[in-house]
Order: sequence, then structure tokens, then C-alpha cells
Amino acid sequence: MQKIDARGLACPAPVLQTKAAIDEGADLLAVLVDNKASKENVCRFLETQGFETIVESWETDFHVHATRAGVVPRSAAESLSPESDGSKIMVMITTDRMGFGDDALGMKLMTNFIKTLKEMGASLWRLVFVNNGVKLAAEGAAVLEDLKTYEADGLKILVCGTCLDHFNLLDQKRVGETTNMLDIVTAMQLADKVINI
Amino acid sequence: MDDPYWFGQIAAANALSDVYAMGGVPKTAMNLVGFPLKHMDLAILRRILEGGLDKMTEAGVVVVGGHSVEDNELKYGLSVTGFVHPDKVLRKRSLKAGDRLILTKPIGTGIINTAIKGGLATPEITQFVTRLMAALNRSAAEAMAGHPVHACTDVTGFGLLGHLAEMVVGAGLGAEIDSTSLPIIPHALEYAAMGLIPGGAYKNREFRETIVAIEPSVDRGVRDVLFDPQTSGGLLISVQADHADALLYDLHRKGAADSAIIGRVVSEPFEQIRVI
Repeated sequence: MQKIDARGLACPAPVLQTKAAIDEGADLLAVLVDNKASKENVCRFLETQGFETIVESWETDFHVHATRAGVVPRSAAESLSPESDGSKIMVMITTDRMGFGDDALGMKLMTNFIKTLKEMGASLWRLVFVNNGVKLAAEGAAVLEDLKTYEADGLKILVCGTCLDHFNLLDQKRVGETTNMLDIVTAMQLADKVINI
Repeated sequence: MDDPYWFGQIAAANALSDVYAMGGVPKTAMNLVGFPLKHMDLAILRRILEGGLDKMTEAGVVVVGGHSVEDNELKYGLSVTGFVHPDKVLRKRSLKAGDRLILTKPIGTGIINTAIKGGLATPEITQFVTRLMAALNRSAAEAMAGHPVHACTDVTGFGLLGHLAEMVVGAGLGAEIDSTSLPIIPHALEYAAMGLIPGGAYKNREFRETIVAIEPSVDRGVRDVLFDPQTSGGLLISVQADHADALLYDLHRKGAADSAIIGRVVSEPFEQIRVI
């Protein structure tokens, strides 16, 4: 994995640094930029060079993760677990309670579900919270400690920023990275399996 | 732009465009210079001023003096004065529904300049775009004079759609652009696809995206070029529809060879730009 810190640089410098890394044969890249224009430009450049990209927003910075098509990325989480077959499972949680019928039961089930998710091992690649689901990542949620443990173990947890904003929870989020629809759609595309709850 | 002589020419051509866009004839100009004396050779300034003077001479303009200050970075521009009959002043917002829109220079200079900065542009395209930016809008202005032109502006930092937006917003009209008829600088789409897009293009888009609707079929590179900030771009002319072909003919004949009819002014949707 080659890391490029292109923060503070104006276009086209971030693209040129990325190009230099690719010219040297890099297959896995992480490019750090601090503005939208650079993020877009770096992504486009990587895509024309046959790379797949995922972008994470981190406060005012953007992390662009890129993999040359056909190269299997070995993330920290995947290499930790011997039983992983390398498949990437994305779990998308759209509610804070599981199923319909009884809400109290639904919330209990959801807590249980999240605690049990670890049985997926290293195949669990992304955990995404949208709509009412973002409440599970906010202050006071019953599963906060479990989620923090997952995150510390290397699982990427993405929390929908629009949803946090909608519920006035932007400053209440306690775990995961704030994300946007483009990142969610890109993650769906890269995942081998998407499970929607 | 690394060559100081061409830099001077381009700055001068750019400064003149406002007068041409108003239907005027430029007469006098004053140099305005900020120069980092401590870090740059004075010979560079001399070449810049020569470039500016030659371009003004080409335009029939007298450089009557100027102001210079010591500055941390190099700046060069000119203040231009021109004449126009009060009844013949062309304004930005006096366009009429049904008008045809004509653009007199191809777009994409911001993208090409980004590629040049990155050392990725070919020498041929570098030379092409340098000459394009240094080209006066004089012939375009002269061609306009004989036709019922309702409004005009010069295309610069806000990009084609940014300047078109300035025309329609406030005029109570909308515009429709035919993306297939846009004159675009060779290689600009290719460089755009590689991410060689100036930051200003993204800012221009963000600022105007609420009033711009681009059909999904329009190529991604073309979308970028629409907002690409131009240096010394062409004139954007709104002309009575039945004179559009005649004006285009005159533009081509007088030397604005890349001029093209790129769209039309519509009454609905109001204050919106549609790109098809």
C-alpha cells in the first residue's frame, strides 16, 4: 500500500503525485487530499488508469483508496482472520429495530444482531448505517461498545451524514465515519455480498 | 504560462475583451504591474510589457502609461478605455427569447493549462492554446456590429455556463445549449477524463448547479468543459434568430474561425439553463 499525502496542494499536483506512484507500479494506493476538486480529479485519474476507488470523508479531508482492477486488496481486517475466504460482506442497517410487529422486541433483536455479527469474521467488510439505523451509532445506543470494538478491530463503519443531520444527531455520533451516498453506492459495487436489514 | 512575452499578450487580449463585448472600440490602456523585484529578473517584466504593448498596438490602442508596485507575486493587467455610441452599448442581460447564442472561441483553456502545469500537454496543444488565448476578440466585435445583436459578454473565469447564467438570471429568461455543437479545444475532453481539471471549474459548478440541468446523455468531459474557467475566452453573443447564420458567416470570414451557434434563449423554463 502506497500512501500519498497531497493535502495543501493545488490541482494538478495531487493527480501528478498519484500518477508518479502508478508509474512506479503501485497496485494499492491511499491518497489523502483536503478538497473536493482534488478528490474528484484523483478519482477520475485513477479510474482512467483502471483502478477501483473508494472515498471516505474525514472532517475536511478525503481519503481515496484505490485498487488496481484484478488485484485483491488485503486489508488489515482480512489478514487478521485465518478463516476469511477474502469475500467482502457489506451489511447495511436501515433501522434501529429488527423486523415489524413489536418495537421493543425489534430493538432487542437488533442489539442481538449487532453483537452476533462478529461471527462473520473477517468477511464482514463494511457496516453501513442509514435512516433510523444511524441512531445505533449515536450517544446512548445499546450497541455502542460493541461497535467501537468492531471498529478498533479494523471494521469500517460508515454512518450516513444526511441521516444524522435529519435526526439532529451530527454531534451525537460516537462511532464510525460520516459518509455520503456516493461512498455507499461505491461500497455496494465493490462488495461481494450486500445484506440489507 | 511560462513565456513572459506571451503572458503579456494574453493579459492584454483579456483586458480588451470587456470593451469588445460591450460593442465598443478600445482606444487607450494603462499598464498595472505588481512585480517581485527581489525574486525575479527585471528582464521578465520588460518582456511582459512588450507583449502587452504589441497586443495593444495590434488592437489600435495607445498605451498611455501605467502604475507599478513591488509585490510578492507577479501581477499584470491593463485598464482599457474605449468608445461606444450610447445607443449601441451591448449589455449582458438584454437578450430576447428566441435569440440564438453564438460562442466565438473554443472552450477548455483551464483544463489545457492544468495539463500544461502538470507537464502532460503536448507542445502542439500548448502552442495552440497560447495563440488562442492571445487572440483578440476584435474581429468578433467587428462582425457583430452589422447585425441585430441583443446582448453579449466575454467568457472568462466563471466558465461558459457561469457567464451564460449571468446573462439569463435577471433577464427573466432561460437558455438551452446543444452540447454537440460546442466548440471545444482538442484534447480538453481527454485531459478532463484524466482529472486535469482546475479547482475553479468545481467552484463554478457548485455555484450554478441549482439553475443548470444537464441531460444524462451529455458526456462527462463536456460537463466539465461547460464550467471550465477560461482565460481570455471568446464572446458569447445573443443574436436575433433570423440573423444567426449571417453573423456566423461574418465571424468566420473575419477570422473568428471556431465560432459556432451553441444554443438559444428561451422564455421557459425561467432562469434555468438546459444542456442537451
